[in-house]
Amino acid sequence: MSLAISALEYISNVKNGNTTAEEFIAKTLDQISKHESKLHAFISINEKALDQARAIDKKIKLKEKIGALYGMPISIKDNISIKDGKTTCASKMLQDYVSPYDATVVSKLKSQDAILIGKVNLDEFAMGVATEFSAFGPSKNPWNTDYVPGGSSGGSAVSVSALECIASLGSDTGGSVRNPASFCSLVGLKPTYGLVSRYGLVSYANSIEQIGPITRKVEDAALLLNYISGRDVNDNTTVDSKNQDYLAEIGSGIQGKKIGVIKEMSKGAGLDENVESAFWRAVNSFEKLGAKIEEVSLDMVEFTVATYYVLTTAEAGSNLSRYDNLRYGYPMDLEGYEFKSYISKARKNFGPEVTRRMILGGFVPSAGFAGKYLLKALKVKNKLKRQVLEAFKKFDFLISPTVPILPFKFGEKIDDPLAMYMADINTVTANLTGVPAISVPFEIHNGLPIGIQIHADSLQEKQLLQAAYALQETTNLPGAPL
Amino acid sequence: MIGLEIHCQLTNLQSKLFCSCKANYREFEPNTNLCPVCIGLPGSLPKLNRKAVEKATMIAMALNCKTPQRLGFFRKNYFYPDSPKNFQITQLNMYGPTSIGEQGNVSIEGKDIRIRRIQLEEDPGRLIYEGASERTQITLVDYNRAGTPLVEIVTEPDLDNPRQVRIFLNILSDLLENLGVSDPTLEGAMRADVNVSIEGGLRVEVKNIGSFHDLEKAIHFELTRQQSLAKRGIPVAQETRHWDDKRKITISSRSKEEDEDYRYILEGDIPWVILDSQSMEKWKNSMPESISSKKERYITKYGIPTQVADVLSSDKYYSDLFEQAHTESNAKEIANMITTDLMGLVDTREKREQSKLRPKHLSDLIEIINNGKVTRSSAKNALQKIVKTGKSVSEIVSQTGLAKISDEGELAKIITEILSQEPTAVQQAKENSQAINYLVGKVMQKTKGTADPALTLRILKEKIST
Amino acid sequence: MIHLVTKEDIEHVAKLMRIDIDNTDEYFERIQKIMNYFDILDKVDIESEEIPVQEVTINELREDEYIPFESKLITNLKNYKGTFVRAPKMN
Ligand SMILES: [Zn+2]
Repeated sequence: MSLAISALEYISNVKNGNTTAEEFIAKTLDQISKHESKLHAFISINEKALDQARAIDKKIKLKEKIGALYGMPISIKDNISIKDGKTTCASKMLQDYVSPYDATVVSKLKSQDAILIGKVNLDEFAMGVATEFSAFGPSKNPWNTDYVPGGSSGGSAVSVSALECIASLGSDTGGSVRNPASFCSLVGLKPTYGLVSRYGLVSYANSIEQIGPITRKVEDAALLLNYISGRDVNDNTTVDSKNQDYLAEIGSGIQGKKIGVIKEMSKGAGLDENVESAFWRAVNSFEKLGAKIEEVSLDMVEFTVATYYVLTTAEAGSNLSRYDNLRYGYPMDLEGYEFKSYISKARKNFGPEVTRRMILGGFVPSAGFAGKYLLKALKVKNKLKRQVLEAFKKFDFLISPTVPILPFKFGEKIDDPLAMYMADINTVTANLTGVPAISVPFEIHNGLPIGIQIHADSLQEKQLLQAAYALQETTNLPGAPL
Repeated sequence: MIGLEIHCQLTNLQSKLFCSCKANYREFEPNTNLCPVCIGLPGSLPKLNRKAVEKATMIAMALNCKTPQRLGFFRKNYFYPDSPKNFQITQLNMYGPTSIGEQGNVSIEGKDIRIRRIQLEEDPGRLIYEGASERTQITLVDYNRAGTPLVEIVTEPDLDNPRQVRIFLNILSDLLENLGVSDPTLEGAMRADVNVSIEGGLRVEVKNIGSFHDLEKAIHFELTRQQSLAKRGIPVAQETRHWDDKRKITISSRSKEEDEDYRYILEGDIPWVILDSQSMEKWKNSMPESISSKKERYITKYGIPTQVADVLSSDKYYSDLFEQAHTESNAKEIANMITTDLMGLVDTREKREQSKLRPKHLSDLIEIINNGKVTRSSAKNALQKIVKTGKSVSEIVSQTGLAKISDEGELAKIITEILSQEPTAVQQAKENSQAINYLVGKVMQKTKGTADPALTLRILKEKIST
Repeated sequence: MIHLVTKEDIEHVAKLMRIDIDNTDEYFERIQKIMNYFDILDKVDIESEEIPVQEVTINELREDEYIPFESKLITNLKNYKGTFVRAPKMN
């Protein structure tokens, strides 16, 4: 049995007896050990995976009640808590932290008999677009290991792309699911804010981030969304998913739908010409599928990156305050310090990007600066949201390239934070406005993937996945060259 | 001028403000009343307690505050080991009125003390210092209290002196107890910081005051300190000072500017709560009758004397007893019994907790006094036994011989005996009618208060005059 | 109000955020560049904008119910003495 199958294919193969969970997991673990030294997708591996697979096979054999995922290997970004396992956030600050509880998405997947095959790499505390800021070393893009896999959910994308699992859960604060999905030729969905519980996701910028699936196929993302979405008593910001079946009718097509091409995201100086031309071919594909295309200007997009970094650094500064190394963290003796000097020293273990963002996050809400930065950014966010909601009165979908540039080489942007931040220009709007957005793999240019981004109105994931599926079906892309 | 910041725990709730751990942390070993939320583990999120919102709203309404359309929470960022997240989830009116209450007032002795703001927030953990010297000192932290629902009440600087502060705090404490939101007698349930300034001087905040007793001392100290500075022409600096519990003085707490910058931001994990008018109306209607309304009713409806009504209405334990025990006809007597006979028996929290007295005991006692079965003084004795044992009134009376001696022959025999032992007193009583009271006392003593007082007096008078 | 970020500002904020930084220069240039970029926000007319917030109704809030956590968390924490968490001395 090939590892290069979709989630839906996996389920039917196990159901039909073409493979067993144990066989598939064993093969998956082999694949991991074969490729890890080169790709470094994982931070930790589930050592009980095979036992869990056997237990699931036994349940199948005895015709006992079985969860809908039949032992499917799924990797989890290492900022999402799994009980009794390490959750490091790819940070030295949390290198020894073991979570005593499951994130809500994790308990939901467990209850469907998924096998959580391992915890995958990320930029430290999910701050980055290249997985270069992991304290445990970067992950490599399976399409070309000289190139970054995108970020911050880089390990998620690499593990799915390299057939080290069927699917992965990442988190998306400003594009962290969609960006690596695009860079690794995968599907990445950022759900509507509140559709998926964040309980157990280590907060970076809690008011805009969501957990989302990274998969090889659009239908797999729909399947996972079915199992991870919905209201959660442990997360006051969750909303009712109304028990939607995102997978049913996924092939309905987009005949007659109105699509707006976001002008500010699909033209201009920062856009790579190869990405641009691929994007217009995608527009063409949408047209052929029967959608009506029109350009739409969202002039607030110009201000989204600044807004995003003001808001996220302010929230990060607060969210990461709890890491003082007193209650959990890494070994560092208390003797010889008083409280202030101890935690200031302990917090030196944050990496440079996290430190930078925390200093920014100290500035923007502080007494002298709050009015100039934080308050303004909040109001710009509001204005942007009004503009996007207005656009959705006219359009069913808004589209753009997912990332304005092709995957880049390691070290290329690491010293120019502004250039790095500008890679987020097309993805942050969905986070700032709360609407769902998906990246669909569309082309491979000189061996480097290009993804197309589709936005829909809040809670319109079902429609969104139908549009993404329709686009996917116009393509015929190879898998990563392993 | 004195202003207060009073922190009051909502001790009557079951769970903490943002998690399902127990609100009453006092019964736990250190750090055993914890969950990922209140210890601030990575990935945990606050989940707001509905009842805490309800109770805090009631406090705001009882203090005549304006309540907001939407309740918003903010993070106050500061590093301290008692704060598991290194920020406190609290409220303020940074983006419009979102704090649970503002612009209220409380009247004391005809003076209005304005309430600036009320906010719902989480209590931090507790620090314990261990180690003999400064050098070897270590800090121990117990997070059981972290996340306990707290209501902070901030007054305008409308209080004039320590006495007014005491009256204000008593009124507030009674009010919170009457609302059923808090038991202010629990250790640490009610705490206060104070700001003090004198005419023409700047505001000085005093923190870390352990008890209300010390609060008065701290205010005295601060007023004296500021006045003596002023006399010497030294301006009073605006600062925060700490109360030194051992030396009973305030000390400047050289806090740097960076510690004061709390970098408030929105708490995005808690959406703003819409306080719809229907719920507000419902809560308002379910609020217990206010102390002043109770007092008014006791006076006008039952003719209870003002002083008795005052005592009865301001103490929830007494007024609850009264409400359940009284009828239209016995109200005055029940009120009297509570405020005279019962008071000494249940004047502390422990005594109240141990007391087996039920409201019916009181009405039964009044009934048997009224139909002549026991004397008032026997009833008082019975009350003592009831509080201890919880036995029914009839049981107590029959078992302990408290029934009134109304039999003339029996009483006459006792009196004759006493008169023979007290020839001097008899002689005095013959000369001065007031002196007969001594002999009545002797009879009561002998009969343990069971003698019918009217009958005793009549027999005594007869015997002495012959 | 024009407020250029100075090195002293960076040092002050690093202290505020409780992070020792060895070399202010390392952070100064980048942070100043980013802060300058933030000035782009001055161009937006935000006069009439509200603060965007999510809302919930009272009914959606949690019931007041005591549910103890499934395990004793203290054993997951470090630096403990008895069942107390140990912190460095204050001041
Ligand atoms: Zn808790």
